[in-house]
Amino acid sequence: MGMMKRQVLALALTIAAIAIPAMARAQIRIDISKGATAQPIAVSGFKNLGGDDDHAISGAFDKILMRDLKLSSYFRIIAPKSYIENPDSSGYDIGQFNFADWSSLGADFLVKGAITRHGNAVTVEALLFDVAQQRRMMGKKFSGDPQDVGEMARRFADAILLAATGIRGPFDTKLAYVSTRGGRFKEIYTSWLDGGALFRVTDNPTINLFPSFDRNAQHLLYLSYKTYSPELYLVDLSQQVETRIPATLGQAVGGTLTPDGRIVAGFQRGGRTNLYLLDLSGNEIRALTDNGAINVSPSACGDGSSFTFTSDRGGTPQVYVGTLDGGDAHRVTFAGSYNTAPAFSPDCKKIAYESRQPGGFQIFVINADGSGARQLTQSGSNEAPTWSPDGRYIAYSSGRGARSRILLMRALDGYVIGPLTEGESNDTSPSWSGWLGD
Amino acid sequence: MIRVHHGRDGWVTRAGGWGCVAAMGVLVMGLALGGCSSKKPAGAGANGLNGNGMNENGMNGTNGSSLSGMQNGTLGQNQQGPLSDIHFGYNDSAIQAQDSEVLKANAAWLTNHPQSRVQIEGHCDDRGSEEYNIALGARRAQAAKDYLATLGIGADRMSTISYGKELPLCSDETDDCWAQNRRDHFAVSQ
Repeated sequence: MGMMKRQVLALALTIAAIAIPAMARAQIRIDISKGATAQPIAVSGFKNLGGDDDHAISGAFDKILMRDLKLSSYFRIIAPKSYIENPDSSGYDIGQFNFADWSSLGADFLVKGAITRHGNAVTVEALLFDVAQQRRMMGKKFSGDPQDVGEMARRFADAILLAATGIRGPFDTKLAYVSTRGGRFKEIYTSWLDGGALFRVTDNPTINLFPSFDRNAQHLLYLSYKTYSPELYLVDLSQQVETRIPATLGQAVGGTLTPDGRIVAGFQRGGRTNLYLLDLSGNEIRALTDNGAINVSPSACGDGSSFTFTSDRGGTPQVYVGTLDGGDAHRVTFAGSYNTAPAFSPDCKKIAYESRQPGGFQIFVINADGSGARQLTQSGSNEAPTWSPDGRYIAYSSGRGARSRILLMRALDGYVIGPLTEGESNDTSPSWSGWLGD
Repeated sequence: MIRVHHGRDGWVTRAGGWGCVAAMGVLVMGLALGGCSSKKPAGAGANGLNGNGMNENGMNGTNGSSLSGMQNGTLGQNQQGPLSDIHFGYNDSAIQAQDSEVLKANAAWLTNHPQSRVQIEGHCDDRGSEEYNIALGARRAQAAKDYLATLGIGADRMSTISYGKELPLCSDETDDCWAQNRRDHFAVSQ
């Protein structure tokens, strides 16, 4: 499916919360302030209430839900082959199945549900249970097209994290990145965070770099040499229209989209690179830096008021924070001689960046006021961090030379969860969108 | 097997005209059904939908640029052309003393070939962030342009471009290789 069609369908997807009795407050809670150990969860097959006799809908939902729960790092999926009950002969709500069938497997959490399909109309009812307390914690009812089932699963995974940890999960989101998987040229790709719906945005045998999503992944900004000169392009993914940003301010070096849909871009002229705030047509709103140094790699924070960037105005590349209304910038990093590629956390409190260390580059996180710098990655070479919209995770590129993957880690403790991209290609420069649904 | 859906640069382009409206309907299937942006052979001056392959200086990818060398698979295979590369220190854009003779020779050649134009390419080694390196490469290209200007080469005959760390001549993680990649290359056109 094309992007436009998918987004139209996504609008047709409806969600309703299933009422939870007031007494059934969740007793189990995952404490995410520490490096949490994974909690055992069982994801039962969904009961077929008609139309899903081959379990195609149920299987697609479960596969994506389990992938997302694993990526969260908070859950360990109990292997389905050990499940005792038959979902089609038992019920799926309180009183219709036996919690002992699940507590005996060691499950703390249980997902059950039911699926109804009439032609192209699918209804998925999904429920989360606290096994020890034998209580329903959360429920959602999704209605949509069969092709929306993956998105239903992502939204339910986000709701499970909200119920179990108090913070909405980050899976109803997209990832953009640069990859050589189509050949030897760097091209831009997008996919769901869990890898689904891989979409190739560019196909020109030159160089394509620095994809950047706006909040709801409607727009994608990138730099390309496809005219044999570096220029910025803005793709409206829902309209399938691309705008070339005019090079009136100089030669484009790179840029980013702000969450509220403006552009911060670097242009070089005479060897000086400065940052400008532009509207989506590329018209200058104002200059954000104006000096003879290098000012690059902008990243706006979630409230759209300030941004972080790299500048060597002090002699070496360091991380700075400035405001989008054009106020003076202040330096954030002082340790080390090479700190670049900063990324603002969605709550504007922290900045992830890469720092040159002996043997390679490593990801650090520092408070926006310059305090509390912490090294998150320890070995190899790790670059280009991007935050999840809930601020709990960082995706980054790991590796050197022609072989690099996008990895996912927890921002709190640097725990590496695993790769977000597969294969032998060179995958770099990840950009994580905000939530697509409400 | 991951199914890949293709945009194939098949976007309707505001700045560059309406190249590919008809192909929109088939793009959604991820098939190369012809359309506007069918795969062109690498090195044939191929470019995206919305460019004519010429930049503001009239230089396209077929005139001995490092980008066309990369497309042809000949980058790093002694494609010097009439002008010689110069090299830089780590995270530095100052012209090194030993390169002043190279720049004088390059200036002499340009003086003797008044119809020729030169695009000065700034390049970096593969350490550090891609975006910072594009800005650093721009500074390196500008340094050579300024130097050649002091030797009498008209600014209207020179353009600059930075490829950052995207077009290395070699890919070893050694000091020698890094030093080779920290360079200005001079692509000449008539």
